[in-house]
Amino acid sequence: MTPSRARAALIEAAAGAYRPARPGGGICSHPAWHDLDPAGREEAFLAAARARRLEAALDKEGLSATARAVLARIAGW
Amino acid sequence: MKSGDRGAFARWLAGAEAPIRSALRGFAAQVDTEAVLQEALLRAWQVAPRLVPDGRENALLRFAVRAARNLAVDEARRAGFRAPADEEDLARLLDGLALAGPPAGPDPLLRRAIAACREKLPPRPRAALDGRLGAGGIEPDAAVAARLGMRLNTFLQNLSRARKALLECLRRAGVPEAELSP
Repeated sequence: MTPSRARAALIEAAAGAYRPARPGGGICSHPAWHDLDPAGREEAFLAAARARRLEAALDKEGLSATARAVLARIAGW
Repeated sequence: MKSGDRGAFARWLAGAEAPIRSALRGFAAQVDTEAVLQEALLRAWQVAPRLVPDGRENALLRFAVRAARNLAVDEARRAGFRAPADEEDLARLLDGLALAGPPAGPDPLLRRAIAACREKLPPRPRAALDGRLGAGGIEPDAAVAARLGMRLNTFLQNLSRARKALLECLRRAGVPEAELSP
């Protein structure tokens, strides 16, 4: 994979809403986010914001994947 | 919400997420704002039943914004950054929310435009987008990719293509870019 494709994949991965749970409680940062430079992290932030708006607009209850992830954690408590 | 009503909290989330995320914009290079945001939303859920109204609007949203900013500052400092904590900026934001109406979810017209654009996506980008939507933020991309029979990198490329195609379609439909910007 070319460096630019690898970077784009990291940005896309970090822009997703899935975050692993921390062993002692809480939410971990995404491993891909740590592999990005500051500019890549800024891009991931913008990509995530756009992705969440698209997801919410396509969801029948207007909920993004972030909201769904939070509700799933609450349901599991 | 006061009684721990998940439905009410979900309706609140639909409108509250975007302004809280936006309040974390200045931390994007220092902390994983998605993780911070989710943690702040969980704290909002825990605090909601005992939150005392102060007579101003959006008490829970203001709590969540402050919680998110505090978490981001802590995470940034832990990582060795000088956090861009601007108390005046935060105070202005909270004052604005205290005077604003309740946070609203996606605009119905925008929803229709996005749904129409989604129908036009090529099959694999659409499958990737739908796969991530279906995962609801609780399943890693690798698992979604495997279910779709794609390699992880192919899945991520298809997601990028899907989002770019949707944004281009929306631009052609006359939807201002600001509608989808943080």
